[in-house]
Amino acid sequence: MKVLALIWSDESSWEKLSPEEREDWYAQYRSFASAADAKLAGGDELAPTRAATTVRVRGGQTTVTDGPFAETREQLGGYFVLDVQSLDEATELAAKIPGAKHGTVELRAAAEEEAA
Amino acid sequence: MQYMLLIYDKESTWHGMSEDERNGVMREYFQFTEELRNSGKHVAGDALQPLSTAKSVRLRDGEVTTTDGPFAETKEALGGYYLVDVDSEAEALEWAAKIPSARFGTIEVRPVVVFPVEASA
Repeated sequence: MKVLALIWSDESSWEKLSPEEREDWYAQYRSFASAADAKLAGGDELAPTRAATTVRVRGGQTTVTDGPFAETREQLGGYFVLDVQSLDEATELAAKIPGAKHGTVELRAAAEEEAA
Repeated sequence: MQYMLLIYDKESTWHGMSEDERNGVMREYFQFTEELRNSGKHVAGDALQPLSTAKSVRLRDGEVTTTDGPFAETKEALGGYYLVDVDSEAEALEWAAKIPSARFGTIEVRPVVVFPVEASA
């Protein structure tokens, strides 16, 4: 099954890190990604939420606003797509994602039918 | 450049639809996905299972804690996404506005970070 692992963490604390500290986190992510390689079907880091834009269409009119959909204490900063046998296996992998140590990894199973 | 189009809508909106209405929106999704694929801008995408199947995982002091439910309880919930490869933010926003849920939900558009070292990956 395909499971989306959404990584939520406080982006303001990320932005306060020194370049060396960031590089250390990137190294942890690279080592997670290479260890879990066979179970990963994708993944990305997202630009900070100040670069987010929100789109709604009502009555045929498109409204575009700056900022993310929801203001939350932690922000969606990236994701992995996990290719696993079960949600338990996804949970084990999720706990190894570096962001799980200071943020939250939300697991969302993909629907079987490929609507998207 | 790649953008993540995150689809937030109310699960209750879907539950409130008749079967015909729901099938109609699903058909629009299939058409939208086909149009996106045919344009060569589609990288990935998924519909997600209902929030009742969501789990949140945290690791603190070496201990794994797993709780049921999504990270944040919001009025609208993440129901799916598309990853698109487009020429500009304006183009990403145009695709976002064509997603059927844009009419009754919200699409959040997030640029993806490109790592110079991994740009070819």
